[in-house]
Amino acid sequence: MNPLLAAAPAGGGEEFQAPGPELFEFPPLFAGGPEWLTKPVLFAVVGALLVCAVAWSAFASPKLVPRGMQNLGEVGYLFVRDQVARPFLGKDSDRWMPLLLSLFFLIWTWNIMAVVPVVQFPVASHIAFPVVLAVSVYLLKIYLGIKNQGFKRYFTDMIPKGLPLPTYFLLVPIEYLSTFILAPFTHAVRLFANMFAGHVILAFFSLVGFWFLFEQPTIKGVPLGIAGVIMTIAMTGFEMFIQFLQAFLFTMLAAMYIGSGLHADH
Amino acid sequence: MSEQKRPPEDDGRDFADAAWSVPSYLLSGMIIWGGAGWLLSRWTGVDIFTPIGLIIGVGLAVYLVYIKFGKFDG
Repeated sequence: MNPLLAAAPAGGGEEFQAPGPELFEFPPLFAGGPEWLTKPVLFAVVGALLVCAVAWSAFASPKLVPRGMQNLGEVGYLFVRDQVARPFLGKDSDRWMPLLLSLFFLIWTWNIMAVVPVVQFPVASHIAFPVVLAVSVYLLKIYLGIKNQGFKRYFTDMIPKGLPLPTYFLLVPIEYLSTFILAPFTHAVRLFANMFAGHVILAFFSLVGFWFLFEQPTIKGVPLGIAGVIMTIAMTGFEMFIQFLQAFLFTMLAAMYIGSGLHADH
Repeated sequence: MSEQKRPPEDDGRDFADAAWSVPSYLLSGMIIWGGAGWLLSRWTGVDIFTPIGLIIGVGLAVYLVYIKFGKFDG
């Protein structure tokens, strides 16, 4: 059943109830199936396979003059390389393109699922998915930092030099908390919160439209229902922009963190 | 100070790094020194230490951003 309709109170309740956290709770895919195998998990895997399929069809046998899927793939590749990788990684960009390209298209595909009919669920609105990606990037950043700059240099170079000794006591905790705890936290939460909020907003407005036009139509309620439908359409367009933007931001920050591991801050 | 001439493509990176790091530094300053102030408030029973800690934390974070990125001369 459509999760939006499932959110409506059962038994034809008289009062409108806004959708809440139940939008994000799913039973196992089939009766007796494992508890973790739910709709978001299924579509996370479908998204990954889709990205693989598109990349394969675009780049498996590249021609000098690109046509069809290769054309499309190259537009995507150039976008990620020029807008995401090069500003942060410079001459190291090409080496990191496979990771960044996959990240960008995987997250974008996951996000777009929020507005695909029937699917209608942004995978990243379950925080586990962005957390896994953000933690992977975080571990990679620290590994690269220690490998390229050495353990001692990596952890000391980010601290400004030449300040009076007591200042370090005040500033070093801020620097470490910001770089090693808040950065990966906000990296994951930014994507999660945007997708979570976007899904709730879409669900709310479409439920307003459905409820006041079909479920409990009244003279006073119909204009509200029409407003709900119009807002659903407007917010769907807005959400599609946010979906792209968040995929872009997540990948951009990943490139920034990788860059900070490869080169010292100052 | 390890001031060395950077290759040109790195200049944009520094600016973007700074722009994305500032909110994280401000939050970090508030958590660390606001938290210290809160602990001091609990310990002494004097409420004023929490807001003082928060303000000092933000001030220190702004100072850290300034010395890390403000002196950037390209």
